[in-house]
Amino acid sequence: MTYQSAAISNDLSSLPKLPDWVTSGRAETLDTVAFRSGATLTVLGQLVSDPRHGVPVKLLASRLALSAATATSKLEGRLAREADIRDAYHLTPPGETRGPDGDLLAFWREAVRLRLGGPGEIADLVGADFAREVGIWLDTGLERARTHGPLAGCMVVLQAVLQADDRAERVACLLSDLVLTRVLNWKTVLPVSARRLTKSALRDLNAKGQGAELAVQARILESIEETIQLARDLARRAKALRTVAPKLRAKGSDAAVDLFLTEDAIAPASMLSPYIYGTTIPMTSRAARRFCDRLVELGVARELTGRPTFRLYGIAP
Amino acid sequence: MTAATRKRKPTDEDGAVFDRELDDLPRELRWREWMGRIEAVLFARSSPVGREDLARVVGQEASVEMLIDDIQAELTGRPYELAQVAGGWMFRTKAQFSGAIKAAADLGEQSLGFTEMEMGVLCAIAYHQPIDRAGLREIFGKEISRDLLARLRYKDLIASGPRAPRPGAPHTFVTTETFLVTFDLQSLRDLPELELDPDERSAVLVCEQE
Repeated sequence: MTYQSAAISNDLSSLPKLPDWVTSGRAETLDTVAFRSGATLTVLGQLVSDPRHGVPVKLLASRLALSAATATSKLEGRLAREADIRDAYHLTPPGETRGPDGDLLAFWREAVRLRLGGPGEIADLVGADFAREVGIWLDTGLERARTHGPLAGCMVVLQAVLQADDRAERVACLLSDLVLTRVLNWKTVLPVSARRLTKSALRDLNAKGQGAELAVQARILESIEETIQLARDLARRAKALRTVAPKLRAKGSDAAVDLFLTEDAIAPASMLSPYIYGTTIPMTSRAARRFCDRLVELGVARELTGRPTFRLYGIAP
Repeated sequence: MTAATRKRKPTDEDGAVFDRELDDLPRELRWREWMGRIEAVLFARSSPVGREDLARVVGQEASVEMLIDDIQAELTGRPYELAQVAGGWMFRTKAQFSGAIKAAADLGEQSLGFTEMEMGVLCAIAYHQPIDRAGLREIFGKEISRDLLARLRYKDLIASGPRAPRPGAPHTFVTTETFLVTFDLQSLRDLPELELDPDERSAVLVCEQE
């Protein structure tokens, strides 16, 4: 049987995008970075805050968590690739140790689930060594952001954390993301700070080297621009999935579709069966496999690993 | 535990309020009592105790680090020290007394020692975790015996990690907190840098994946 593959539409005209005058220039001074970040953050803010644009924000956050884990893994001097990290997280049976890569992804996945009201949660996540200072650092960052703009606020917390412990890159990046989220009043934490950072850029920033702040700000700006691309792309893919959803008549397919709209990688054997993750709707492992295959046939999801077994599916690129 | 010691602290076990703040004591004595508590907690445990656990036995305002510093200051010249390992603190004897301890325990030559192969496998796991037996075979060019891995696991230096995505879903190995303590590491980042250039390193990783 053949299926007509659902066309992933290219009609993006309705979604906010970056104007050319933002993307064409180069970030050469702190002023240009500040100016461009204003435009960039506005567009990203519109995309993630207005449900009419149909951006699957949780999916976006979960995809960004994987990028952040990959980036911080490099910052911490490990060599894990994105696929390794994803496997380490998704293939650990319950009760076993995830290892450093899986733990790192777990850290970022918890980060995007943070409810911003609770400072206790943040303290739990960053660990006891930093729990005490977190509040102060965040306040300083927010204060700076209020007077000098969001990215300047990020710089203050990055510097503060790295000064306290130059190995706490993941905590530094997380707090920087929290400052952005709070200043811009987003509902979900989007981990954009770590994505493009390099060890040397952070080292310079910590040593207060010439132009270090500009370099780091420019990298975060780049990452935000990429996040806009990603958000638009995911909105398109989510729309395609929602379009074919009525054709899926498997039991529990609605809940399974919802899961695809919140998670970037789904292991059918553990996340769809015996119960669809987060629900009490049962699905047999065979039904779960068939469901994922059907989504691939319909052209709305893809298999992420290229393996014949231990497959992971997702709609994100 | 003898009956006598059990009797001595009935209030704690009944869940009576544990006095952290010690407001009735003068400053000086309070600080000494807090130092004593931390020292006692660390003494009673053979594994590292984290900051949050220690913070529970002293006043809200007390700095665990400063208390630890004061304890450490008193320990200079003692044959044991308060070391910071694996994200916590623990008491341990200084390395120079290892001979005396071994002689007293009549360990002779057997000691805690690792064979060269055990050490090699442990290193490979530390750097390449999570890694399964097939991955280890590719590094060493021969099968790594299950017995050797079982010995490392028995010493609690390695544990089971994620499943490897290969036929049979073998579990991979990862290092444990005991591993960090044994080799005096704060975290895996304290492992010595491998002296390979980046291209070679990624090449090594790629062959393991295949």
